[in-house]
Amino acid sequence: MSKITLDHVTKKYGDVTVLNDFSAEFRDGEFITLLGPSGCGKTTMLRMIAGFEKPTSGEIRIDGVTVSSADVFVPPEKRGLGMVFQSYAVWPHMNVFKNVAYPLKLRKTPKAEIDEKVRKVLGIVHLSQYAERMPSELSGGQQQRVALARALVAEPKVLLLDEPLSNLDAKLRERMRFEIKEIQHRLNINVIYVTHDQGEAMTMSDRVFVINSGVLQQVGDPVDIYRHPSNQFVADFVGKVNFLKGHSENGRIKLEGIDDILDYSGELTGTVDVAIRPENIRLVSGNAHLNGRIVSEYFNGDVNDCRVLTGDKELRVIAEASTYGKFGKDSTVGLEIADFLVFPESDNDYRKIMT
Amino acid sequence: MCIINEDTVLKREKKFYFDVKWLFIIAIVGFLLVFQVFPLIYLVIRAFISEGSFSLSSFERIYSVPLNWTCVTNTLITATLSMIFGVLLAFPLAWLVGRTNLYGKKLFRTLFLMTYMVPPYVGAMAWLRLLNPKVGTLNVFLQNIFGLAEAPFDIYSIGGLVWVLTTFYYPYAFITLSRAMENMDPSLEEASRISGASPIKTLLTVTLPLMLPSIAASALLVFVAAASCYGIPSIIGAPGKIYTITTRIVDYVYIGSDEGLTDATVLAVFLMVMALLILFISNFVIGKKDYITVSGKSVRPAVVDLGRWRIPITILVGLFALVVVIIPFATVFATSVTMNMGKSVFEPGNFTLKYWETIISRSSILRSAQNSVVSAVWAASLGMIVCIIMAYLLKRTNVRGRKIPDFLITVGSGTPSVVIALALIMTMSGRFGINIYNTMAIMVIAYMIKYMLMGMRTVVSALSRVSPSLEEAAQISGAGWLRRLRDVVLPLIVPSIVAGWFLIFMPCFYELTMSNLLYSNNIKTLGVELYNYQTYHSQQTASALASGILILVAVVNFALSKLTKGKFSI
Amino acid sequence: MKKKILACLAAAAMTFGIAGCGQSSGTSGETGGNTNTNTDVSGKIVIYTSMYEDIIDDMETALEKEFPNLDIEFFQGGSGTIQSKIAAEKDSGKLGCDVLMVAEPSYSLELKEAGILHPYNYSETDKLVFDYDPEGYWYPVRVCNMVLAYNPEKYSKSEVPNSFKDFAENTSMKDSLSMSNPLTSGTAYSSVVGLLDKYGEDYFKALGTQNVAIESGSVALTKLETGECKEIMVLEESVLKKREEESSKLEVIYPEDGCIAIPSTIMIVDNKYSANANTAAAEAVEEFFLSPEGQKLIVKGWMYAVRSDVEEYPYDAIPLSQLLENTIPVDWEKSYKQREEIRTKFQEYVTVP
Repeated sequence: MSKITLDHVTKKYGDVTVLNDFSAEFRDGEFITLLGPSGCGKTTMLRMIAGFEKPTSGEIRIDGVTVSSADVFVPPEKRGLGMVFQSYAVWPHMNVFKNVAYPLKLRKTPKAEIDEKVRKVLGIVHLSQYAERMPSELSGGQQQRVALARALVAEPKVLLLDEPLSNLDAKLRERMRFEIKEIQHRLNINVIYVTHDQGEAMTMSDRVFVINSGVLQQVGDPVDIYRHPSNQFVADFVGKVNFLKGHSENGRIKLEGIDDILDYSGELTGTVDVAIRPENIRLVSGNAHLNGRIVSEYFNGDVNDCRVLTGDKELRVIAEASTYGKFGKDSTVGLEIADFLVFPESDNDYRKIMT
Repeated sequence: MCIINEDTVLKREKKFYFDVKWLFIIAIVGFLLVFQVFPLIYLVIRAFISEGSFSLSSFERIYSVPLNWTCVTNTLITATLSMIFGVLLAFPLAWLVGRTNLYGKKLFRTLFLMTYMVPPYVGAMAWLRLLNPKVGTLNVFLQNIFGLAEAPFDIYSIGGLVWVLTTFYYPYAFITLSRAMENMDPSLEEASRISGASPIKTLLTVTLPLMLPSIAASALLVFVAAASCYGIPSIIGAPGKIYTITTRIVDYVYIGSDEGLTDATVLAVFLMVMALLILFISNFVIGKKDYITVSGKSVRPAVVDLGRWRIPITILVGLFALVVVIIPFATVFATSVTMNMGKSVFEPGNFTLKYWETIISRSSILRSAQNSVVSAVWAASLGMIVCIIMAYLLKRTNVRGRKIPDFLITVGSGTPSVVIALALIMTMSGRFGINIYNTMAIMVIAYMIKYMLMGMRTVVSALSRVSPSLEEAAQISGAGWLRRLRDVVLPLIVPSIVAGWFLIFMPCFYELTMSNLLYSNNIKTLGVELYNYQTYHSQQTASALASGILILVAVVNFALSKLTKGKFSI
Repeated sequence: MKKKILACLAAAAMTFGIAGCGQSSGTSGETGGNTNTNTDVSGKIVIYTSMYEDIIDDMETALEKEFPNLDIEFFQGGSGTIQSKIAAEKDSGKLGCDVLMVAEPSYSLELKEAGILHPYNYSETDKLVFDYDPEGYWYPVRVCNMVLAYNPEKYSKSEVPNSFKDFAENTSMKDSLSMSNPLTSGTAYSSVVGLLDKYGEDYFKALGTQNVAIESGSVALTKLETGECKEIMVLEESVLKKREEESSKLEVIYPEDGCIAIPSTIMIVDNKYSANANTAAAEAVEEFFLSPEGQKLIVKGWMYAVRSDVEEYPYDAIPLSQLLENTIPVDWEKSYKQREEIRTKFQEYVTVP
């Protein structure tokens, strides 16, 4: 188990600030996810922890030992970390066994021990029967697991994962999420996981760090992040959301373009941004406190993903699967808003930076 | 809990882990500075200084001679055309040999590389015998077949010069490109095929653009080699009064006076600048298009099926090999066994093994061959070490000035041999504290300066095709710089290293101009012997020696290929 | 170090022994190897020469016999190569040699003026039939003879020009002639100086009109053999060598308007510049090469001797006396002083397209 401390870390490339004054502490055995759109600085953060990049200022400590600061720099090979790259970086000139055995070989582990450990870790990633294969004879998912095995074999206390699942198909991706999580539990190691996929972040993490444009937006456990996003960006990036402008006055919010009124007990007054998650809107027949008509609906198996026009605004609604086809097109439906979020007004269009 | 030595780091003193790679990089940059930059700069400065003060007078004088401008134009035209044709030939050939199911791929590969194993002087003589407008064998043959009144080809023309330069230097492009082809991710091509593009369309719209960095690299090689070549223009160009910068430089140098040397340097500066310009252009072309085609994901190499075109294309490639490789080689070989070159080798009494006996029986040849092997092995091996580390500096670090060694190496190649040799004599014979004159070291250094570019370009283009994440993966696994160089980077580019080594080795092996100025009795090389036969007025002996070299290299290559099960061959 | 001293002592002792037998070796009156060996010269000297390598082999053997204690090393190369090597070495302050046997007198004049040479007083100058430096800075040591050559298997002698004048003026020869480059070859340069003196600038003009190919002698000879060239201006030695060694049928024409006999010189490098500062040995070697014995070695290399008392002449050639009956003289002083001018002129008329 390890503790990683980032102390006012800033990274600039020339005049471009990639990461601004980032401070965080990753605690023992935590599964940390750095979540954000591409280009937000999350990979740079990971690469600084690994030692491939040097912070422009600030300090990085692993277990209290400074590995990067103004006057200390420990190169990656001396940090004792494990890492899985987005492109897997499986060496094409070595077979699976040699790829995985490599970190042990560098540590001058006795041959018998290498053998045993490699077999073990290949078992963990379900690749036991592929030890003698060359990487070019493996599928993408198998190569990814070779990379994972290689990162794990030397039993690092910290495992760094840079969007390791982004090249896999959906099914495999889902399975790997649980496998990685399970391996983390079993080996009791720290994991720092970089992704732009909020689904991955939600299912795997103990804590999520949401980053945008080099600035930390919010830290929290997945539920917290989802339920109580600290700003519009987080609300939008984590999960789905309908943004509406509104006017808050005397405990009520009047929605622009819909002319509807919501009860509001918060402190914000004046023009505000109201965020309503599609799954927090229920479709009901007949009149409700909001009315509209269905523009389109998509059957997703488990849900009905539809767009409803109300006033001059189109809202996305994720309704129960059973509602699919229940209401005829252009017929009026009622909308019940179970929950919503209110933010101070901002003119930023958060969708633009979505990936 | 991490494997850092806590005692040392916890003290929080200033501590940077010393990175051994900088030791190597600094050592090599130092080497380049002392042995290449200093001599060449000395020579250039010397050209600027007349009677103790800085002046441009020699530049004004040289560049006001109209003939010199004609030479500049000729050089630009011939080198540019050779570059274009060389790449145009090499690209499809490399693709056909590297990526398709062409018949006899291995044989063709070997054949295309053969030209490279013959000294340009000997090859040029062969073309001269084949295509001279009066009695050229091929010309006469074509005249007889088609009943032509006049010879169809005149070798003593710009076209003739371009032809010989192209046939000599396209192998540079072929070697570089075919290595790159084999490393390409086939899914990129497959994506194009699936989008509905034919193999040819795919070649043009996907493969070609992806290969752009390698194409630029190979174009640079061909251009620099053609522009700084002396042997071919001196034999092919002179009779048709087509002079190039190199022939002019040698004219000036061989005047043997101080002024001649200065004038030669002044002209040489033009060639150096030209080489740099081309490097800039090729860097510009590559610029932001530096695709990485060997990713961390492994893929199976794919072979393109030529379908019904397989036989016709094989025949076409075969014809090309016949004209460009086999016929001139046969001519060289026939020359080596012809007593009287005024008659056919088949005429009774005109066949002789005398010249072969000469080269085999002369004890000095064996000694020279040994010296040549040793010095060329040194030059190629040291050269490749320099190239690999400088290519690494260029491609894998972001130090300011990382491009400078690349420029230096390019300038070196763009400098005519004779100028390099003279610069080394002036600076490396004790006057500035280093005396390696009359040792093999000075020859090895001269070879390296002249031919390192071949290795450098090969390695740079190979390295730019290897994803940095492969190395980072080794680094995070705990491998230090030397270790990951050995375990990951080098194995991935080993075919290019072998190719680059060979590209340096071969021209060093029979190098003539520099060896002739730098040799001393105990370090005579094959190039010196070749030169002797050249001045001995014995084409035949020179041809026998060249054929001997060719056979030797072919045998070594074959053996190497057999011993390593095809892993290492040219 | 000890070994060297011992060797010196031994050499000294032997000298005394031989001197006792009435030999006074090393003095200027000595004519070298015809009597006995020179054991009092020792150490090492390096000779730069443009002579053919296989005659150098013979010379090395002879020199070894003559100077058993002297280590002699030859550096062989074309005269252009050697001259440029010397120019570069001069820049660095030291030459790599002690004796030069290269190029023609105009180059010697240049080196003499540059202060590189060491004067040596040769006693038998009355035997020399070619120009030498009265102060002893250079002596002729071998004669390269510029002639015409043709291929009797392709053309008859009556078809081709028999004089240098006709070579330039016979328009039926247009595009079928070749000669060496006066810019890079000393002998070619000397020849055109001689021809310029004899025929004036018109000669250059005529060469230009003939479209004479300017290329190395080896290429020219090949072209003569294949029939691509009808006639070439070439050094006699290269044709003779081919005739003797390859039974070549190529034939020399001694031009009716005279051969151009170009003496090549021998020079000693001054101690200040020389590689081994071994003047005594250099002088002894120069003495040997000028002696009848040394001259016979030159003749074996298809070149003419410079002494009136050497009867031998090259294989298949004519006696020296006969050669001297009809030659085109070359003004060395002029060829040195007006080099740039003459070269430019030649370029203008002949080289430039």
